[in-house]
Amino acid sequence: MTDLQWDILQKVVGGGAVNPLPIGFIIDSPWLPNWYGVKILDYFSNDAVWLDANLKAVRDFPDVMFLPGFWSEFGMCTEPSAFGARGVFPADEFPFAHKIISSADDIDSLRVPNPATDGLLPFMLNRLRLARPRIEDAGHKIRFAVARGPLNIASYLMGSTEFLTAMMMQPEKAQTLLKTITSFLKDWLGLQRETFPSIDGIFMLDDIIGFLGEEEFRTFGLPCFKELFTTDVSIRFLHNDAPCRVSAPFLPEMNVNLFNMGFDISLAELKDLTRNQVALLGNIPPRDVLAGTDTAKIAGAAAELVKSLPDTSGIIFSCGGGMPPGVSSENMRVFIDAVRN
Amino acid sequence: MNELVEKIGHCVERGKINKASPFPGNMKGQDGADELTRQALEAGMDAEAILQSCIAGMVRIGEKFGRNEVFVPEMLMAAKAMKAVTEHLKPFFQSGSVQAKGTLIIGTVAGDLHDIGKNLVSMFIEGNGWNVVDLGVDVKPEKFTDAIRKNPRCVVGLSALLTTTIASMSKTVREIKALFPEIKIIVGGAPLTMEIATGMGASGYARDPQGAVTWLTDIKETA
Repeated sequence: MTDLQWDILQKVVGGGAVNPLPIGFIIDSPWLPNWYGVKILDYFSNDAVWLDANLKAVRDFPDVMFLPGFWSEFGMCTEPSAFGARGVFPADEFPFAHKIISSADDIDSLRVPNPATDGLLPFMLNRLRLARPRIEDAGHKIRFAVARGPLNIASYLMGSTEFLTAMMMQPEKAQTLLKTITSFLKDWLGLQRETFPSIDGIFMLDDIIGFLGEEEFRTFGLPCFKELFTTDVSIRFLHNDAPCRVSAPFLPEMNVNLFNMGFDISLAELKDLTRNQVALLGNIPPRDVLAGTDTAKIAGAAAELVKSLPDTSGIIFSCGGGMPPGVSSENMRVFIDAVRN
Repeated sequence: MNELVEKIGHCVERGKINKASPFPGNMKGQDGADELTRQALEAGMDAEAILQSCIAGMVRIGEKFGRNEVFVPEMLMAAKAMKAVTEHLKPFFQSGSVQAKGTLIIGTVAGDLHDIGKNLVSMFIEGNGWNVVDLGVDVKPEKFTDAIRKNPRCVVGLSALLTTTIASMSKTVREIKALFPEIKIIVGGAPLTMEIATGMGASGYARDPQGAVTWLTDIKETA
């Protein structure tokens, strides 16, 4: 993000009104390789391709905030790889990680990985380090330390059904696992900040939050997120595009000040649930509308979204969740024009 | 209904698997679905009546889920309690004294390792008296078509959690329909809507396990 975009983001998160209306999208490997016209494996394995794709996005859409911006990642394999999870990278499909915990008894032997050396994390960090001069030459800076959230990582390491079942049947084991992951995440986010002093934001993605009831969220989720988001950065950004009506009222307590949600909840309802204390990034349907073929539908949804909000402060106009595969430049422009006009 | 049989249904609804299970907290130390089913069968109670009581328990928890009164972990526990019951009822299914309503072949599509949705749906459907063939996660289209060949009168359920695997789901639907145009396919998962499901050629879409049960019941009644 440029300095100007970062200022705008901070103003929005501070509750200020911005003119023209701010537009932002979470972009990463589900969208960028296809949009840029390269194979997913090339995007992951060739640093120059990764950088050029990201630079093209920021150059083609200079008025759009891309978050986190220049996200160096290896899909769902990124953090699990540090724990030793086997990543599978098909040539032009999305990668995934195999679980490493076959029973709750394995949890006690799990060690906190070293993010400087373990799994794909050194590659992720080094890619950013090498790209930094060109990113800065383009007028951008690395602004966010990024990681998938603790519940999400736990579900990758153990399997989501097994992890959620462990919460109910062996709660102390589930807590131990979450403590290990949280400790790792603190180190990992800390290392990113240490490496890039321009970082002034934390971005975490965790949709397992959406599967929990209030009691489970209070017990298992809230303490980890509070610990991870209690840090001296300006932007504390959470993505959860699974259901969020249970967890949204806790966002202020989690110290989250920017939230990207699923498309099945209105911004007005979320403003209410968060007592207007959290800036929101959303919320037109990503696949049915933004990635669709009907541009009139995109323009209509964007205009309707703006109209639905008597007060647009604290809002960044976007889709629910991250940018989905298949959104064309034309669709993006239609959305931008509709919001701005 | 007999009190013991009713209690089994209650255990299923509350997710009380067995005596050792600490969940739910207020039933700690009590007999669960496992022990009560064994006692009921030993006392000569009707397997079909036990199954119906459990199905009623599954319907109640499914409805609560639909109203956001319970969440995925409670649903998983209910399904596990149901599983404990069906383990005892298996011999009755095999002997034919309890008839399966049909066969569902289910799996999470290729490229997606998420199993919550698939497991919940499969456990609920099994709990509702269907025979379920669970192909697991990251299932390639050929594995579905092989399973259909072995179960020609089946219904197929496809699950995905990742937005990125919708394309894989569409491909699976296409490949199944190309070989077995009459096979009914129901799809579900967080990134899906009815519109997307219809667009990819699926016969049905359900947003939750209870919806899948209702859809299966409807197609069975209209068949």
